[in-house]
Amino acid sequence: MDETIVEALARAAGLDTVWHDFRADLLAAASQVEDQRRVLNDAPAPAAEPWPAMSVPERDD
Amino acid sequence: MTELHWLSAADAARAFRERSVSPVELVTHVLDRIAARDHDLNVFVRLDAEGAMDAARAAEREIAAGRSLGPLHGIPVGIKDIIDVRGLPTTCHSRILLDNVAETDAAAVARLRAAGAIILGKVATHEFALGGPSFDLPFPPARNPWNRDHHPGGSSSGSGAGVAAGFFPLALGSDTAGSIRNPAGACGVFGIKPTYDLVPRGGVFPLAFTLDHVGALTRTVADAAIALDVLAAGPRHAPIGDPEGPIRGLRIGIVRNFFETDMEAVPEVAAAVEHAAYLLAAEGAVVTSVALPNLRYLAAIGRTILQGEAWTVHAAWMRNRPQDYARSTRRRLLPGALLSASDYIDAQRRRREAIDAVERTFRDVDVLLTANALDPACRIDDDVSITRTYPRQARTPFNVTGHPAASIMAGLSPDGLPLAIQLVGRYYDERTLLRVAARYERATGAADRHPDIRTDA
Repeated sequence: MDETIVEALARAAGLDTVWHDFRADLLAAASQVEDQRRVLNDAPAPAAEPWPAMSVPERDD
Repeated sequence: MTELHWLSAADAARAFRERSVSPVELVTHVLDRIAARDHDLNVFVRLDAEGAMDAARAAEREIAAGRSLGPLHGIPVGIKDIIDVRGLPTTCHSRILLDNVAETDAAAVARLRAAGAIILGKVATHEFALGGPSFDLPFPPARNPWNRDHHPGGSSSGSGAGVAAGFFPLALGSDTAGSIRNPAGACGVFGIKPTYDLVPRGGVFPLAFTLDHVGALTRTVADAAIALDVLAAGPRHAPIGDPEGPIRGLRIGIVRNFFETDMEAVPEVAAAVEHAAYLLAAEGAVVTSVALPNLRYLAAIGRTILQGEAWTVHAAWMRNRPQDYARSTRRRLLPGALLSASDYIDAQRRRREAIDAVERTFRDVDVLLTANALDPACRIDDDVSITRTYPRQARTPFNVTGHPAASIMAGLSPDGLPLAIQLVGRYYDERTLLRVAARYERATGAADRHPDIRTDA
């Protein structure tokens, strides 16, 4: 992840202090996210099942 | 006679009934042992010696009067410091919550108390059950009783170290990506993460809502059965009672791809799993090879979900108090700020597929056998080794799927550090899982091996 993108994401998340004081930690975090995306690189078809779980309470007859 | 500090909870309860040992004797003994040795092991964040002695005296009176509260009456236990105990701080091993005194017991603690357990105090965790081991926090990290220069595993580090050290026979832990099974394996004790949500999570500080499990660490499988029968009581849990029983004909699937091809375990770990398969087959189980989705893939699903959910808990503190976290915790939390919504949703969809894959496997087998950690515990001060070995484990897949999973000791490495295997059961079938574990424990004498920690107690 490009450093300017990391900075933009960090600032958008309200992490100005972290960006200023702990930049190396944010860059390490960005590297972790990229590693995970590399492993999960074959995204399922957007409309195909399985869909994320959702449940409603049992019907109370 | 077994030294008091190595008594299992079941044996101690029996000794109480037979009047050969009293709760006051046992609690006094373990408090002396803790006083003599915990300065080397850092198990306790907050020891409540006075409260424990009061409870021991009350238990002694009740038992003498023939009134038993339950199977843990008079048994000392340790509680991971992300779990609320009324009147004690829940610090999560963090500066951020140093003054966070719990007003009520967590649901799991309340169940232990109702069964008569004596709460000794709060024990070490990695910060918020995620970072660590860290030396930049208000409390030192727990040490491994088998070799205090080595990592005790985590994040339920004090729970594992305290059980192994003979400070208490039972501890509560939590497991979001392996945090019960890791210290259980590293410290050579038994640890079980039951089916997701079987043990109530109320009063447990969350790490990741859909991955968090509450469970137990013990020195024996029988004690784990007692603990689960107390902690999981309800319509979804059939009491286990004595976990001993034949395993002839049970079908055990060995998941080799996790530790042979997806990630390569060190030879002694792979040998321990193969030896377990041999022993279980010798006991009459039918052992076959099965394959699950790639371990790295399953771990990436788990990490993405964990980071996304943990960020929702920590975002405000990280914005305002980032300096109050340990460096390792910051590094493990910050990915959550950089993930996208689609990363998280995609991981949840893949999780459903992973659950389906494991469930398909359970059509053909009753229990899965695989590795736990892929390496013995490294030195606690070796950041490079800790970073390298942290993801080298086969535990996270069963947090992703929610199946019950346990770690049991499988001998010692050439350096004298515990090795462990992992057993995994069907949803809500902790009974069969513990039956296999009990058979393996009996065949190996796993419960009889203790670290040689010298004390005056």
